[in-house]
Amino acid sequence: MEFGIFMELSVPRPWTPESERQVYANALEQVRLADELGFDYVWAVEHHFLEEYSHCSAPDLFLTACAMQTSRIRIGHGVVPCVPQYQSPIRVAERAAVLDILSGGRLELGTGRSATWTELGGFRADPDETKKTWDEYVRVIPKMWMQERFSWEGRAFSMPERAVLPKPIQKPHPPMWVAVTSPGTEIDAADRGLGCLGLQPGGFSESEKKVNSYRSRIENCDPVGAFVNNKVHTVNFLSCAEDGDHARRCGLKVASMFSYMASQLLSAKEVLPTHSYPSAGLLPALRRESGSPGDAAKSFKGVTMGTPDDVASAIRQWEAVGFDGINFIHQFMEVVPQRYVLDSMRLFAEEVMPQFKVAPKKQPLVAGVR
Amino acid sequence: MPLAGSLDIRSLLQDAPTMTLSDRELHLDDVDILQVLYEIGFTDLESLIPPALNPTIPPVVTFLAYRARESVFGPFSLVQLRVSARAGVRPRAFLVSAFCDNPALAEVLSTSWGYRIHPGAMQLRRFHDRVECTVVVDRRPILEVALVDPQPITGHDVQYPPGMHLARVEDAHGARPRLVQVDTEYEFRRADRGRPELRTFDPAAWGNGRLVPTEPISASFAACTVDIAAVRYVCNPDIPASEGTEKVGSSS
Repeated sequence: MEFGIFMELSVPRPWTPESERQVYANALEQVRLADELGFDYVWAVEHHFLEEYSHCSAPDLFLTACAMQTSRIRIGHGVVPCVPQYQSPIRVAERAAVLDILSGGRLELGTGRSATWTELGGFRADPDETKKTWDEYVRVIPKMWMQERFSWEGRAFSMPERAVLPKPIQKPHPPMWVAVTSPGTEIDAADRGLGCLGLQPGGFSESEKKVNSYRSRIENCDPVGAFVNNKVHTVNFLSCAEDGDHARRCGLKVASMFSYMASQLLSAKEVLPTHSYPSAGLLPALRRESGSPGDAAKSFKGVTMGTPDDVASAIRQWEAVGFDGINFIHQFMEVVPQRYVLDSMRLFAEEVMPQFKVAPKKQPLVAGVR
Repeated sequence: MPLAGSLDIRSLLQDAPTMTLSDRELHLDDVDILQVLYEIGFTDLESLIPPALNPTIPPVVTFLAYRARESVFGPFSLVQLRVSARAGVRPRAFLVSAFCDNPALAEVLSTSWGYRIHPGAMQLRRFHDRVECTVVVDRRPILEVALVDPQPITGHDVQYPPGMHLARVEDAHGARPRLVQVDTEYEFRRADRGRPELRTFDPAAWGNGRLVPTEPISASFAACTVDIAAVRYVCNPDIPASEGTEKVGSSS
């Protein structure tokens, strides 16, 4: 199993220059520690206009700072919205390549298309088009990295022959992923040979179905890049302490606040009748539509909170479902002290992580798979 | 924590409907529904909804028009003006006001579900190139809104969040101010979507002059069966819904 940390960079009101700086400073401290402790990934989202929920609108800059302060951890640039109104695929390829160079070849590129009207409407992007533009972006970005010069006449964008520079260090190119929240996106990922970056906390049976359909489908994929990334990661909340009750209390504070803030977002599905967004992203998992507003947010089965044994037991269940990795959210809106977050990471690395790092990694089945 | 509403409900309560909680349900066959959504300005967005609710970012106003050629109350048109909100973690729409051309239905909606409802003349007309709705009060149009270039979709794609209606709810303790959660089920026969178009809107005539539409979002039309459920939840408008929600029938 691989383990990562997942950064939203949420900033509670009242906003001051100091509060935003402190959130970024705390996050960097967590990343440095994660690097020392042996976590495999740090992922930083790209969100725009999401008040309090995420102030991470320039993740490439944040991740550059991460790269310069670490030596080993892989730098997860994602999810990058593949929407022309946000950014051209040229800029995505260029910035990612710079990050790969500055990190010494540690970049992972996560792709996606945004799920909120707050963001899509803010850029006046057409939600009906985002699946199509994402599909075009993921096909052209690896070509921009690999070909000396590149030209394209497409639907989302076009360009005459130019050299897209610099080129990434990793050859043939950095691994690529897609965020999976909408039903069926795991199939899109498999068909294109992309890693599956699960962003929706959910139950075992639903997850197992997704993983199985991904696994069977990717065996006959037509990869968009030069190799297949067949990893499947999920997301979870991490809170680990010797006192299991304390760990669960702290973890549920983070999870509840995350659920509460995520539910405040205005999803594209909610305001626009479109096939392009068959679900409201991660929101349905976080609220029961017909219930009472007074119901508290509940934790889900397999949540990684509690003593090291509790956390290890939950991870074993996710491993049995077929996941290769878990990316952890361990802080949100600064609801738990930074010291607790760091202690939780240390205890996890000391007592849980080694249980999943002993066996050599199973070799992938697909030829040419990295 | 997210922003919370700050609407002064005392002034609204002066002419809020008075209702009683009951098992009453309402089934409406063959209802045409036009829904048009616009973003509204952020200025004072908290002041658009009661403290129990959280505003959405951006704030959104919804024009929701029903027309039925037949019902137990006879033919009717009903047009609601709603503001998007959250109650705890759930999407809701705060009812600013509504207009109805059928007094008998208006009375039932007001006394059983807390609709803040006024008499008006309205039309909901469906053409092949557009669906349009007008509301006229005292011979003056206060709303002219349309869906342009309808394209078929499935009803599954259309969402109508439950309403939150400010009312005085009468029980053994007297009349208490409450937000009444109005849950409605829809069974779709057809649905279209199209471009929203707003020609006339007088927000003051609807009860809040600060609701100024800015950005068009979407328009949908649906033909469906509508079932308004008996009220299951009410909420103290002055405290967060996550704390102030009461299940109807349980002690409070």
